[in-house]
Amino acid sequence: MPPALRAQGITKRFDAVVALSDGALTVERGEIHALLGANGCGKSTLCKIIAGTVLRDGGSVQVDGVPLEPKRPADAEAAGIALFYQELSLVPQLTVAENIFLGHEPRTRAGFVDRRKLEDDAGRLLGPFQAVAGSGLDLHTPVARLAPDQRQIVEILKVLARRPRLIIFDEATAALDRRQVEFFFRMLRELKAQGIAMIFISHRLDEVFEICDRITVMRNGATVATYPAAETDVNRVVHAMVGAMAEHLHPPQVERPANEQPRLVVDRARGRRLRDVSLTLRPGEILGLGGLQGQGQSALLRGLFGADPLDSGRVNLDGAPLRLRKPADAVRHGIAYVSGDRGRDAALHGRSIFENIAAASFIRERRVLVWPGRLAERFRQAAAALNTKYAGLEAPIGSLSGGNQQKIFIARWLATRPAVLLLDDPTKGIDLAAKADFFDLVQRLAAEGASILFYSSEDAELLGLCNRILVFNGGAIAAELSGGTMTALHLTRAAYGDAA
Amino acid sequence: MARIKTLLAEPLVLASIAILVLLAAGEFLSPGFARGDQVTRLLTVSAILGIVAAGQSLVVIGGREGIDLSVGVLISLGAFTAGNVMNGVNGAILPAVLTAGGVTFAIGIVNGLGVTLLRIPPLVMTLGMMGVVQGGLVVLSRGAPSGNAAPMLMGFVNQPLLLGLPGILFVWALIALAMWFLLRRTSFGYAVYAMGSNERAAALTGMPTGLLRTLLYGLSGLFAGLTGVCVIGYTGNSFISVGDQYVLPSIIAVVIGGVSLAGGAGNYFGVMLGAIALTLLQSVLTTLQLEFWGRQIIFGAVLLGLMLLYGRQTQLRV
Repeated sequence: MPPALRAQGITKRFDAVVALSDGALTVERGEIHALLGANGCGKSTLCKIIAGTVLRDGGSVQVDGVPLEPKRPADAEAAGIALFYQELSLVPQLTVAENIFLGHEPRTRAGFVDRRKLEDDAGRLLGPFQAVAGSGLDLHTPVARLAPDQRQIVEILKVLARRPRLIIFDEATAALDRRQVEFFFRMLRELKAQGIAMIFISHRLDEVFEICDRITVMRNGATVATYPAAETDVNRVVHAMVGAMAEHLHPPQVERPANEQPRLVVDRARGRRLRDVSLTLRPGEILGLGGLQGQGQSALLRGLFGADPLDSGRVNLDGAPLRLRKPADAVRHGIAYVSGDRGRDAALHGRSIFENIAAASFIRERRVLVWPGRLAERFRQAAAALNTKYAGLEAPIGSLSGGNQQKIFIARWLATRPAVLLLDDPTKGIDLAAKADFFDLVQRLAAEGASILFYSSEDAELLGLCNRILVFNGGAIAAELSGGTMTALHLTRAAYGDAA
Repeated sequence: MARIKTLLAEPLVLASIAILVLLAAGEFLSPGFARGDQVTRLLTVSAILGIVAAGQSLVVIGGREGIDLSVGVLISLGAFTAGNVMNGVNGAILPAVLTAGGVTFAIGIVNGLGVTLLRIPPLVMTLGMMGVVQGGLVVLSRGAPSGNAAPMLMGFVNQPLLLGLPGILFVWALIALAMWFLLRRTSFGYAVYAMGSNERAAALTGMPTGLLRTLLYGLSGLFAGLTGVCVIGYTGNSFISVGDQYVLPSIIAVVIGGVSLAGGAGNYFGVMLGAIALTLLQSVLTTLQLEFWGRQIIFGAVLLGLMLLYGRQTQLRV
């Protein structure tokens, strides 16, 4: 029996840039196949070629043994290839059934929507998932009234309504917390049982090992290896992905004397999503904020930055009380905030790299006049500290890749010589090489005496980088991990509270 | 070919070409159109439009659908105030300029507060302000023209001062320099672009976006008031709707000049070329003896055409 998908020798150039030199991927029926690689390795391009949104220059693609020559996305769709979108594809006002068949509703002979058939078909699709869905998911409910988990089911049913043979999940779990991910995986296993082939792209390696049967790794536009997941481990996969970069991922930690005066003391901070959070942060310390997503970690960081001011509680910086009512209060005291949502929170779209770096320095230094020539050298140094690749300070920010953009937004704060760095899931969606550069820098800053509050949605990052970890649950600190308790087991147990 | 196409989509190139074509067209339709004194005359009219467009461009660059529809009535108010303060007396020119600028700046600040504090969309806020000021002007002036320009002001706007050019052109050059300095050499200017590009990100670097935006509307009011002073200097006296004709052109000049209506991009040099191109177009249309309504149709069509042309560019912007 031919595999569900066989792609071989795929090549693609965009002008002078070779995106793919030798892309290859084989996915069996009923297989969940991980496609891994650093950003820019070509995995997105390969998927776009399979889905027909990008035309290949060379190579061959076969679906169930039949050659696929898509001229447009609809051709690939007709061949049974579907893309799964995690967000924004549902219309809140429409019902579950209407959403599932949006755009290809069954018609009566007169050309009107055949509502009865629509609901029958939707019901049939929902059938196998009824067990997973738990409490009945009503087909007549408007999507707006569904819980996030239930919306995921609808998203999947929507894809299934087109009777796909292969589904591509591109970062499908990026926005989900741990509980939702487990729920999502239960659905994937159900699809697997139905014989559907799946390509799973994720930055979360633990998830990959949890759900996938085989793993294909790409690097620099070529497929370098395919492993059965059970016969390999994270180390080997990461090595294959980044080559020589891997050993820099988690450098050893620098110890500091314990008797120093604390840099930042937070006493019973309260806010909309915070319940009496107290902590002490010393110079040179990297303090991790762990737990499931949305448990108050970001709320604390944004509160300490003055972006979403705290309702009550005291904050002391180097022994002096601090009023944080707006970001400028924090910036002028040497507090920096790096958000992982860079497109929304950091990017000055359409502006130059110079301007993107300069923004925070102007505020920190209460600068009135700007002489770009005199600032350029300092900004170049800030960008160089992260091995940022860019053409020149005058190039637009949009000319950089995601990882390099994030480096620029970090350089923005480096240029202000911050004493405290608030890192709000800063590595979201950036490639492993950029992450390695970033972790390097964080370690270096800490060694130089900067204090760092680091929230990450990836446990491995917290465990690899932090001196201590505060585990959040429901807006409060549920546990503090340090020394021997800094293990994935303790972290997970604390994050899940008593349930684990 | 592709290169020529991208070059043509470059606002500065397009505006420059438009200026040359319109000059040639004017000369063809009415020989003498491109003569030195005629060009000086055109530049004088361009300067008046250019000054109000300076304020308009600031508000647009600042983003969040920034636009100031009240500039027309603020020009009228500026002209009215200046005319009544100086009343033909040379010695009262400076107080007239300060009063007119102060009043319109204050009204602009009210616009800004409405947009920032009350979160009223700029279109609605400035349109509402337009109604309020218009009504106020009718009450104040009782509907009759009042106030006179001082002879020295009229000379400054209409007569050669230096090198055969009237003083207003030097003022315009100074404003251009000031705009460049403000936008490219002060943190205020950098913050305006940052805010126009991504207000949330700008605020997260500590920039006081509310204060900045309020000031932008204040500056737009100030520039409109100064334009009012120039207008009364140009015509000698004022009537209460003298500024109305500048609203649409001030926006078109900004767009011709390459300022993105989405905010965060553009510069005043382009806007100056836009003001000149538009004044030329107006002049050519007048030469063709097109009525006011005809010009309005063409102006509107130019604006929509430009939006079509530049709209594709903004989509490419990442």
